[in-house]
Amino acid sequence: MSRYLRLFFIGLLLAPPTLGLAQTRSIISNLANPAIGMSALFLAQAAPNLSLPGSTGPSFQEAEISVISTVDPLWTLAGNFTFDAGSGVAEEAYATTDAVPDITFKVGEFRAFFGKHGTLHTHAFPFIQAPLIMSNTLGEEGFKNAGLEAAWMTPLPWYAELTLGAYRPVANDGVVQMGGNDGAGNHPLNFNSGSMDNIPYLAHLKNLFDVDDDTTLELGASDLTGYGDDGLHHAVYGGDLTIRNVPLRRSNQAGWILQGEYLKKVSYTTGIYNQESDGWYASFQNRWGQEWWSGFRFDEAFNLASDISINPTDSSLSGHVQRASVNVAWLPSEFSEMKLEYGIAKDATGAVDNRVMLQFNYIIGFHPPHSY
Amino acid sequence: MKTLKKTIWMLPLLVLALPAWADLKVATSLSDLASVAQFVGGKHVTAISLCKGYEDPHFVPAKPSLMKAIQDADVFVSVGLELDGGWLPLVIPGSRNPKIQPGAKGFIDASEGVEVLDKPIGTVSRAEGDIHPLGNPHYYSDPLNLVVVADHLARVFSDLDPDNASDYAANAKEFDAKMKKSVEDWTAQLKPFQGASLVIFHENFKYFTNRFGLKIFGTVEPKPGIPPSPRYLAETSEAMKQAGVKVVIYQPYYDADASQQLAKLAGGVALEIPNEVGGVPEAKDVFSKFDYIVSSLVKALSQK
Repeated sequence: MSRYLRLFFIGLLLAPPTLGLAQTRSIISNLANPAIGMSALFLAQAAPNLSLPGSTGPSFQEAEISVISTVDPLWTLAGNFTFDAGSGVAEEAYATTDAVPDITFKVGEFRAFFGKHGTLHTHAFPFIQAPLIMSNTLGEEGFKNAGLEAAWMTPLPWYAELTLGAYRPVANDGVVQMGGNDGAGNHPLNFNSGSMDNIPYLAHLKNLFDVDDDTTLELGASDLTGYGDDGLHHAVYGGDLTIRNVPLRRSNQAGWILQGEYLKKVSYTTGIYNQESDGWYASFQNRWGQEWWSGFRFDEAFNLASDISINPTDSSLSGHVQRASVNVAWLPSEFSEMKLEYGIAKDATGAVDNRVMLQFNYIIGFHPPHSY
Repeated sequence: MKTLKKTIWMLPLLVLALPAWADLKVATSLSDLASVAQFVGGKHVTAISLCKGYEDPHFVPAKPSLMKAIQDADVFVSVGLELDGGWLPLVIPGSRNPKIQPGAKGFIDASEGVEVLDKPIGTVSRAEGDIHPLGNPHYYSDPLNLVVVADHLARVFSDLDPDNASDYAANAKEFDAKMKKSVEDWTAQLKPFQGASLVIFHENFKYFTNRFGLKIFGTVEPKPGIPPSPRYLAETSEAMKQAGVKVVIYQPYYDADASQQLAKLAGGVALEIPNEVGGVPEAKDVFSKFDYIVSSLVKALSQK
């Protein structure tokens, strides 16, 4: 990393909070206790091509308990703890402050603000399965790690937010978990150099334009880079485009989202450049009424490594893989959802992963609004 | 050197050409609050609302452009009682404006001092739909509650901008007098219909009906946030026929089809009326909003 970037992050850590203290008395309803909520996902699946035991039938996907509260006039603390049938983990625990005008600081363990899908919690996925390329780049649930981020709302006349982040070095855990129902996170990136100057960093630029009162256009670019223990830089680059329509007069009854994202994982040093894996997805979702959504997505990945083991030969679905997914969701209220989805994935050898999935999604207690 | 001298002489002209900014930039989460803030602030305030009058204030999309719009605001007025709780907790922190974060001097809960109706008693549960646990937040449908808001804003503006405190106090006094006179006029217009019953889409009109002696017979939605089923509409229309209730009112952001179907089944009329400033083009401020509501109701209730 350049000397100036290192100095910037050191300065950030040492700088005292100099500007007017934002007295963050909470608008969240809580007194002695934090605001607490829980989401739960259950899945019933028929996957005749998978050779994994239990790939057909019901399963408990995960539950997530969220807590948030004001710490003091400077800070707010939030945590997300996820549980599945076998284990529980502290998925995120982080503090934020808006004491400095135009900048939000975040410190703790959290999802890096990379791209679009990588920032989503599992219960907010628009399709039951994450895009193919996620598991080979950031991880199915994004790049979750300990770090520090600063998100600056620039003075440009449109919404343009620049996020810079620095994270703890982390090893590629060598596990690609796609075939199972647990959706567990993983670390496909090698940021494990023991060198003192290995501070994996993120740069993300998000631009959002109001096309008209009802429609927005979002363009984003992301770069996550660190040093590996193989002497190479490892990086993921991404670009995303979202066009979203929410008719203001019928904001909870109609609208659509057209979204696409491309991610590429590379490793390089002087004289060496390896494009390890890349892929993209494009999706369209439409809201048919207060209670109904439907969606279609096509995604494609190149040099994909996966553990999706296909009958009868137990070969893995890998290499050049394409998948089409279609779903319909019923939301009887804002707090529950039933989603029926069909996905068919195929690789260049002709191996096929064919699934019908029915997911049940529930929220109780306090839940912060999802990002636009 | 000549260019530099020319530039220096031109600078005062550039300053004079800049727009005259108001002393306080005020943003609100509801259009009625922006209207009141503009009355109270007068020439010293520029007030904007993040929620347009034809938008459902429960479901405003938390677009980043809203965060950008309040990045430099001096004051943010929230309607309070968690009516904006589905989107404001993203927009306020996202603005990165320390002056308007909750707890800062520039963050105002407009519901303070208002007598709140429908505070839940006993167990609060979402089995009753998407209820408001702090009470009915649609207090702005009673015009006299806006007098409470106006007085509150005058105190806040005076605290933040003491040089113009006397103007804020005078404007609030003028607003109070005008609103109280207008309420007398509206009461007189609705007096022949005191005790008349209405069906409303959502429980957002109770403060109005209480003020003007009308009654709420029922709602188009069976529970808050739950759309009506055909069976519910049939049962409700039968009950309306038996009780002689003929008027169904709904706001521009609600399902017109369900309201019109219910009115048709009951042999009555469905009326789209605003509950917020800007809900219809005629509702340009809080006074013209209530003018429109009252005249529409008088016309509908007069029909046999």
